[in-house]
This record gives sequence, structure tokens and C-alpha cells, in this order.
Amino acid sequence: MPKFLTNINAISWYFLMPVLFIHFFVIAFPSILSLLLCLTDWNGFGKINYVGLENFEELFRDRIFKKAVYHNFIWTIMFLTIPVIVALIIAYLLTGIKRGQLFYRLVYFFPYILASIVNCLIWRYIFHPKHGLGGWFENQGIDFLSKSPFAMKETALYAVAWVDMWHFWGFLVIIYLTGMYQVDESLYEAADIEGATKFQKFRYITIPMIRPIFILSLIIIIIWSVPTFDYVYILTMGGPAYSSEVVANHLYSQAFQRMNVGYASTIGVMMFFYVGIIVGFFALLRRLGWEV
Amino acid sequence: MNKILNIFLSFVLTAFFATSTFAATKVVWWMESDATTDPVVQELFVDAFNAEHDDIELEVVFKEDINDTIRPALLSGSGPDIFDTPGASYIKIYQDAGLVKSLQEYADQYGWQDKLLEWAYNSGVFSGELYSIPKNYETMIYFYNKTLFEENGWSLPNNLEELEALAAKIKAKGMNPYAYGSTGWQPTHEHLVGNYFNTYAGPDNVYKALIGEKKWTDPEFVESIELLRKHMVDDGYWSGGLETYYSLGWDDFNGEFVNRESAMLMIGTWGFNVTATNFAESSDDWDWAALPILHPQAGDRPNYQLATGGTMSVNAASKNPEAAAKVIDWILSDRARVLSVTGQLGYGAWLMPLHYEDSDFDPNIDPRQKRFLTEFAEATGSGNYGYTTWTFYPNDPGVHIWKDMEVVWAGDITPLEFMEESQRLWDKAREDDALVPVGKR
Repeated sequence: MPKFLTNINAISWYFLMPVLFIHFFVIAFPSILSLLLCLTDWNGFGKINYVGLENFEELFRDRIFKKAVYHNFIWTIMFLTIPVIVALIIAYLLTGIKRGQLFYRLVYFFPYILASIVNCLIWRYIFHPKHGLGGWFENQGIDFLSKSPFAMKETALYAVAWVDMWHFWGFLVIIYLTGMYQVDESLYEAADIEGATKFQKFRYITIPMIRPIFILSLIIIIIWSVPTFDYVYILTMGGPAYSSEVVANHLYSQAFQRMNVGYASTIGVMMFFYVGIIVGFFALLRRLGWEV
Repeated sequence: MNKILNIFLSFVLTAFFATSTFAATKVVWWMESDATTDPVVQELFVDAFNAEHDDIELEVVFKEDINDTIRPALLSGSGPDIFDTPGASYIKIYQDAGLVKSLQEYADQYGWQDKLLEWAYNSGVFSGELYSIPKNYETMIYFYNKTLFEENGWSLPNNLEELEALAAKIKAKGMNPYAYGSTGWQPTHEHLVGNYFNTYAGPDNVYKALIGEKKWTDPEFVESIELLRKHMVDDGYWSGGLETYYSLGWDDFNGEFVNRESAMLMIGTWGFNVTATNFAESSDDWDWAALPILHPQAGDRPNYQLATGGTMSVNAASKNPEAAAKVIDWILSDRARVLSVTGQLGYGAWLMPLHYEDSDFDPNIDPRQKRFLTEFAEATGSGNYGYTTWTFYPNDPGVHIWKDMEVVWAGDITPLEFMEESQRLWDKAREDDALVPVGKR
């Protein structure tokens, strides 16, 4: 048998090859194709005409794209703060619970395993102006939530983000909880001897010790915020008046509603570069000695 | 032993060739799925066709979101023999890409031009050849609570002044003039835009703009949009206001209409079925009317907007186009059967644009439904028709109409800016040869 087939160092590569092969055809090949399509005016079916950098010029004039980028930025900030803070606190509190912890973990994690369409329908119903909370408050003579927050341009983005965060934060709880269980118990015992408060232990022991997993969660959030699509699409389709439009929705609309596949590819390429910059940034931090 | 082997082989070969020679040609049709429609189509079209034919076996595959499903199939050179599309603008793209077969030879052979209404036939003609056949035709009308109107002594409006006066009276009673909502289907907005274009700017002007003889930025179109903005935002005609309109879905606004929260329902003729069903459980009676004309430039009598709801075409890669054409012709050739199918579906689907005669109708047909079918045929036959955006607009300007209408309602852009963008997209579509056919008026 040829030596390269039995080389112990090469065996792991052989096992990785099928995945690599699938990845090439499913991810890399279409990505490369997108890089080329962004220089064309292809409508998804017919002739492909080379248009140079016309799509990029159009993109920088596109007010909807600019709005969508801004919304993605807001979205990322919201996800980097609210669910992270809540999940950290809840995970820390859960470490102190010995009985019934599994129940809490299941309850918090449950929305994460629900399909996005189910989550969206639940919240659409809750915010329904007639059959939801608004209708109930109206019956009590209180004018609260009489208009669905999904239907108002001032609140639509935040309302959609709320639903997505509600589904997502349980996932963070599980991640942080796992990290917290890795922390050496003797550190807390030493802190107890020194008379540290619960907050001090959280601030000076838990947070530094779970830093790698914490940073990983931030990277995940930033990267996942870029292609966010389903909750916006189901709940508002980017409306009203593009007030909840995000970049992936704009891409979808251009590619599959307006049939501007070349232009949509340009949007995709921009998203790709953005994610590349983020990954590059964290890679740089790692090279500089940060534990990320 | 050899003799037995010879007999056996002869038997096998004979069976093989007999099967190959006499096996029915299979025609596969990918059809947009709908829980109500599918069983009726299966029974009255598919099973009936197969019972009548030994030479062709029809198989219909009901698909969700047919437009997303058919695209990769066509591009890969596979897919069914016959397929549905949402409308003519998609056929134009398929035709440009050579993915759809010309049906001209079959149209000539079977006389489809005579079987279909002229405008409907023309809607499938690209570059002088037929590529698609509408599965359904529809138009925009309004339903009203007849009992409520009679109780209050309200009359049907014939012009803008009468409509606004009626709306004021309805609102004074604590009801909404119209029930409607866009949750779940954002393109709902284009129904309203089309209504205002055709009843305010008028079908002649719309036609001229469609063929490029007028600009969409001309005052009549800008004023149409401004009037719609006023009625939606300032006056809250639809379900009480913009935010409620955005929050209500199909069941919500139909419920609002039958529960007397709204006096009228401005909708397409696909609303016949649900209106009849809902009111059957109510003590109130309903009826329908053509949309009132809101400006004299739109003519002196109500017009009906032309719309096709979905089309059928033959895949360019089909190995059995003749058999596929036979299937289509079998459907087009029996008006009574088509009426029977669409009748079971409340005339909301499979109402094919054929030349129906009085004798084709089921004697038990609801007289209100029959009146619509007759009046629509008469009005459109005499050239009194308008144009819906979803049948006569190319993709990009078509999406703009419903997506950006929200921006006008939000007050972020003016009606003029909205129409300027519309004109820009039309110019681009015209330059790209992406327009869909509009029969000569």
C-alpha cells in the first residue's frame, strides 16, 4: 500500500476531505460565482452582460442599502448588549441553584429550539392590536399597545429584534453556564475566605475566567447579525417603509423579487467583506496575545 | 432446454416492446399548491383527464412557492412538462432565457386564440408568439354589507364626492369605510395603487404610460397617489388607519367586514368565496359593485382592471410538448368543466378567461357571481377595462409600486418623488427590453 495512504498525519485530512468537497460546491463555488456576478447585470436566467463596477456605484447611491446597513449596525449593538447582559446574569444566578436548575435551563432554552415561524407567530399574536395584549388593555380601558409595534416605523426594527433576542438569549445562557462550570471552584473558595461579595466574585473571577467563551459569543453575535433575515422577513418584510429593512432582506428583494441578481451579488460581496474584516480583526487580536 | 429458453426470451422481449410501444405518455405538471384547490383539481381535471385518455397520463405535482421551485429546475434543464408561474413578467424572463417553449404551433393547431378572451390571450404573447396561458382572471371590485347600507339609507358612490361623503357617514357610525390589511402579503398595497390609477388617472392614461406614450410623473398619476395617501393616512379609510392596516391579515379583515366593523371591502374578485362563506353565517346580506370613478378623466362608467392570476406554460426541455399541449387544450375546450371547477372554488381560482355562454353556467350559481362574470365580459369586451400592476408591470417597477408606497405613506417621500422613481425603473425596464405585453387598446 502506498505510504501516503497509511501516513498517520494524512489520515485526518482524508476524513476531512468529503466535508471540504461539499463545502467547496455549496459555499466556495457559489461565493466565487457571486464575486464574478457582481460585475454583471444578470437577472438570474438570461444573458450575462459585463457592467464593470456599475453595481458598486449603484450600491453607494442606494438609500435603502445605506438604511439597511445602519439597521444591521443597530441590530448588532442590541444583540451585543441586551441578551448578553441578561444571559450572563441569569447564567451566574443559575450556578447557585442546585435543585431545579435543569428546569430553568430547559425553559430558557426552549424558544431557541422553536422554528422562527412559530416564534414570530406567537409574538405577532401577542402584539395583535385586536386579539393580543392591545385588545386586552383596551377592554380594561387602557390605551396601551393599541397599535402593533411591528406596524409602526418608529418601533418595527426594535420589535423584531426583541422577538429574535427572546429566542436567542437562552442559547447564550447555556454557553455561559458551560463556561462558568469550567471555572476552578478553589478560586471562589479563596475569594470567600477573603470575604468577597457575590458581585466581586462575578466581576473578578467569573468574567475573566470565561473570557474566551465570552469573546467567542461576541464573535458569533457579530457574524450572525450580518445575514439576519428570517425574523425580519416573517414579521415585517422590512417594513413599514423600510424601517426594519436589513441587508439580507434587501439582497433577497433584489435577487428574487426585482430579479436583479447581479446587483444582489454585489450586496452579498459587501456582506462577505464585512464578515472578513470582523474575522480578520479577531484573528489580529489573537496574534497580539488576546485569548480570543 | 434451449426451446424453453427461446420461448421465455421471446415472451420477455414481446412484453418489453409492447409495454414500450403502448405505454401512455406521461405529462407532469407542477402546480402551485393550495389546500382548497388541490383536491378539486385532482378530481375534476387530473382524474377526469386520465379516465378519458389511454395515450397520455397526467400527473400533477402540487408545489409550495412554485416560483422558487421551478427556477432551479428550469435552469438545470429538467423540471416538469407544464408549469405554473405567478404572472406574465416571469414568462418574459423565461422566454428571454429560452427556458419556455413557444406554444404558437399548438395555439394555431387547436384554435386557442378563439377559445380565450382576446386580452388574456395577448397577455401571453411575447415577440409575436404565445408562451403562456392565464389560469385565472380577476379584477378589483368592492363588496359591501347590503343590509347595513339599507338600514342606514346609504347609496353606492359613483364619484369622489359621493365616496368621501359616504365614508364620512360610515365613520360617524363608528365603523371603517373599508376593511383591508397587508400582514402576510406586503404586495397588497399594489391593489390600492392600481385602483387609484385606474379610477382617478383613468385606464387610457395608464395604457399610454404602459406603452411609453406618457410619463408616470404626469400630474394625473401623481394626484392619484396623493389621493390614495390622503385616504389612507389622513382619513384612515382602511380598517381605521395605516398601522391597523399593516397589522391585519386575511382572516382579520374578512372578519372585520362580516362583523360590521367595516362597511365595505375593496378587494379582488378572489374575495367572492370568503365573503359568501362568511356572510352565510351572518344575518346580514352582501353584494358587490364596480369601483367608483374618482375623476372624470377616468371615463364616465366603471371600468374593470384586467388581471391574470397565474399562468401555465410548457417547459422548453419537455420531451412531450405535444402531449402537454393536448392536456392544455383538453382543459380549454370544455367551458362547463372549467366553470364547474371554479364554481367549487367560489370562482376565486381556475376562472379561466374563456368565452363563457349562458348555457355553460350551473343553474344554481349565485346570481351576484353570475352578474360579475357577465358584466366583466361585457365591459371588457367593449374595451372598458383598466390594468393591474401585477399583470402589466415588469418586475422592478412592479416591486417598487408596493414596496415604496409605504415610504409615501410614511411621509418620507412625496408622491412626485415616488412616481419619479417609478418612471426611472420603467425607463430602465424599457431599455432592457423587460416589458410585458399590453394588448392594443
